[in-house]
Amino acid sequence: MELLADLVERCQHRLVRYLLYLTGRREYAEDLAQETWIRVLQRSSQYNGRQRFDPWLFAIARNLTIDYLRKKRKAAQTVSLPDDHDAVLLLPSSGPSPFEAAARSQDAMRLACRLQILAPLYREALLLRFQEDMSLPEIAQVLGAPVTTVSSRIYRGLATLRSAFEEGDSHGG
Amino acid sequence: MEGDKRFRELIDRSFVEEISEGERKLIHDHIRDCDGCKRYLELTARTIRGLREFTFTSGPDSNAQIREILTHHTETMRQHNLQFKVWAAFAAALSMSIVGSALVYQVAKLLTVPMHFDTAQVQAGVLVFWLLPSFCSALRLLAAPGENRGIA
Repeated sequence: MELLADLVERCQHRLVRYLLYLTGRREYAEDLAQETWIRVLQRSSQYNGRQRFDPWLFAIARNLTIDYLRKKRKAAQTVSLPDDHDAVLLLPSSGPSPFEAAARSQDAMRLACRLQILAPLYREALLLRFQEDMSLPEIAQVLGAPVTTVSSRIYRGLATLRSAFEEGDSHGG
Repeated sequence: MEGDKRFRELIDRSFVEEISEGERKLIHDHIRDCDGCKRYLELTARTIRGLREFTFTSGPDSNAQIREILTHHTETMRQHNLQFKVWAAFAAALSMSIVGSALVYQVAKLLTVPMHFDTAQVQAGVLVFWLLPSFCSALRLLAAPGENRGIA
């Protein structure tokens, strides 16, 4: 329990940030973070101590999020989604943006608007690479996808965000 | 233009993956003469820098709340685990007591003739001296208070 408390101290902040990127909603992120830690406790015996903890933690969080969003969408019966894990994350979220609230610079503020409409698949890949500084194989482990898919998501996400500056600057920003 | 595309892909790769020193030098040499690619590199760097300038704060009590939930959950899991162990031990003891009694009964039946016992006496003996004591021992596992069952 001591070890787990240390891990909560060390990773909770980053876990919530990852879930925010994934869901685009603050309230979902906080709830899912709690669920993730409970799942970590239940599955602690499955953790391979020779690997880094963070990718394992994020993979659990990701699977929980997919299940959670799928249930939520089923309950709302708004759209019928293909039976594909990642498809659940494809729809952009609505509502107030947590990214604008978290932006600490002019450039970040510009990116915030793009991030909110960017598909979560790309958002999470960008976060894991540039904020968590994970390697491509580690991101592939979290996403359960091949490394080539991961890098293509990062490049596409990067291109979308970069266009925020290209357009902004060409309009005299 | 095609050359620029190749260099831009290389610029992207330089931020996302490891590239060789040779490739790095290629980019460096190219952007000295190509303003378009130089701007592309600057914008990519700016985008990544911007991404790192988001600061998400979690609620002040968030960590404490999660620790509390986990402590509660750990206790619940420990209780469930203990209960499972108790019932498993009881099931094992009960089956051993039944199988053991059957074996003892078979042995006791062999002694019926030399010891001049009749079948009812053998059955009563096995019941009183084997089946009941072993059954009571199995029951004790369920009745013992808390974790003091010798199996936790």
